Amino acid sequence: MSAAQGVFLGAFTVVVLAVVGFAAVVLVSARRIDGGGFVGVALRRMARSRRERAEAARWAFYAHRISGFGIFAFLCLHVVDVSLYAVSPSLYDDVHALYGTAPMRVFECALLVAICFHTLNGLRLLAVDVADLGLTASLRLLGGVASLTVVAAVAGSAVILGPVT
Amino acid sequence: MSGRTLAYLVVRLTGLLLAVLVTGHFAVTHIVHDVSTTDASFVAHRWSSVLWVVWDGLLLACALVHGASGVWVAVDDYVDVRRRRPWRSVLVAVTTLLFALGAVVLVVSAARSAG
Repeated sequence: MSAAQGVFLGAFTVVVLAVVGFAAVVLVSARRIDGGGFVGVALRRMARSRRERAEAARWAFYAHRISGFGIFAFLCLHVVDVSLYAVSPSLYDDVHALYGTAPMRVFECALLVAICFHTLNGLRLLAVDVADLGLTASLRLLGGVASLTVVAAVAGSAVILGPVT
Repeated sequence: MSGRTLAYLVVRLTGLLLAVLVTGHFAVTHIVHDVSTTDASFVAHRWSSVLWVVWDGLLLACALVHGASGVWVAVDDYVDVRRRRPWRSVLVAVTTLLFALGAVVLVVSAARSAG
């Protein structure tokens, strides 16, 4: 491994730790401020009637915030690693080779999930505001967001992981 | 228009643009082409096209503004009011530096690819 690759992996580790730390802050604050972040409690509430399942919208908010922070944190690293191209194309190639490795491909699948969910849920929030949708319609849309995210993530991951499996 | 209304509109409008720009970027670099083939010659070829230079420039600007706005709100939610100022300064400084870096790299590389 070259020195530049070592620096990239070090910075990448910082990005991952920042995202994990941020997610912890969001979920701990949820437990403290928003009346619960426990998975078990959420599952019990999800078993209730549709109207009370507005709980799902709260979880969508946490997922939106954490996925958004994750994408932004990676963006900060990505702008710098692509900038190596202007310094020297061979230096860029050296660091970029890491993107093709199996562990980084797994990360790219996670990034795909984050991008799909954040994009679709963002469009849902836009639709809720623009079309002035009520609770039932917005929860139905959230179901669509979750399903489409799973489909896109599975299909995309198959393509991304194809060359290393 | 209040600052709050402006922030609301900026986040929604950049978000709408990013829905196209980010998914397009990810699709081209991971689905259409395998990521291992997007090396320096791929970048050189892509940045010789005005469409991709404009695409990446818009992507850079929208993503940084949208992301920084989101983190700004998260800072408001999770950081005590007395400690917000340094967090905001770091956020604005990092975002501005990254935009400057990305913009310079894009212009320099596009000029090199064209010439």
